Amino acid sequence: MKRLIHILLLSWPGLIGAAELAIPDAPEPGSVSTAAGLNHWARIYEVASHPRCVNCHVGDSPYPMWSGPSFEKTQRHGMNVHAGASRIGAESLLCSTCHRQQNSDEPHGAPGAKDVWRLAPVEAAWFGKGSDVICQQLRDPARNGNRTFQQIASHLGHDVILHWAWNPGGKRQPAPHSLADHVADILAWGAAGMPCPGDVTTATEEVSDD
Amino acid sequence: MKLTVNGKSHDIEVEGDMPLLWVLRDELQLMGTKYGCGIAQCGACTVHLNGLAVRSCQVPASAADGMSITTIEGLGQPEALHAVQVAWIEHQVAQCGYCQGGQIMAASSFLQFKPNPSDEDIDRAMSANLCRCGTYPKIREAVKTAAAKLRGEV
Repeated sequence: MKRLIHILLLSWPGLIGAAELAIPDAPEPGSVSTAAGLNHWARIYEVASHPRCVNCHVGDSPYPMWSGPSFEKTQRHGMNVHAGASRIGAESLLCSTCHRQQNSDEPHGAPGAKDVWRLAPVEAAWFGKGSDVICQQLRDPARNGNRTFQQIASHLGHDVILHWAWNPGGKRQPAPHSLADHVADILAWGAAGMPCPGDVTTATEEVSDD
Repeated sequence: MKLTVNGKSHDIEVEGDMPLLWVLRDELQLMGTKYGCGIAQCGACTVHLNGLAVRSCQVPASAADGMSITTIEGLGQPEALHAVQVAWIEHQVAQCGYCQGGQIMAASSFLQFKPNPSDEDIDRAMSANLCRCGTYPKIREAVKTAAAKLRGEV
């Protein structure tokens, strides 16, 4: 498998010179209220729950999904595609066999990015999940790649496959807002202490119980 | 741009966004790689780019600059066929044959990394290569035979 990944990277010139996004400084810790932080989270969730993101954030499923306005119905990726434990299809058919470095603008053409096309990590299970579930996952270092919120923002800046969500090509609907706005929301949400909708519900319930 | 195709170096002057498929067919007259759909939905145009299967309709010429490309014409030679080609003949897989070059290129790439595939593995690897003649059962058997040949068992 290591040999395969090595060859794959050698055959992927797009990784060299792919445009990264400079990440601004985060607001001072505590400078963003919890309520404002939740508003930022709501915007983050609009992105995280969008088909451009969730179709590849399928948790422990090996099947990319086809959902959203580009498809008549929600279904598994066609052609019996199975990304395997490698998440890049190395066990059968590499995602990069068809998903190359650029979007096809032809109807139903394969999208692509200057990065290795792949499923998101298993723990980043977003497909069909609610706001609080995704929020809890994103702020949990054990399930977010051991990242601080600043590192989540950096991840958005340099893992350019994520940029594709805002540049999906063809008539695909892009993720809402913009990459820069999304990064700003992540930084503001982090400065607010990474609040999640369930925190408020739980606190309210605790007050009610008293 | 410089492409190495079937071991031979070529200096080619084409627009950077010309699909590799058309470079192979129109510039180099290598007609074994077929146009089927043009949108990576059928697999007829499959070639190897630095040893891995790709749909050549999805690779701009500029992205292949400096790389090594193998087409069905270069996978084996009449006097020394690739194991997958031998298995294809043994099982008489082809009917019309249009998709078979792509099928063979996909199978030969897959078997590099899955030397002893199950039926399920083969179906997953080959489902994105369409065959209007419906030769799928023969394709599966030929891939298994080719795998055995590559393992030195037959």
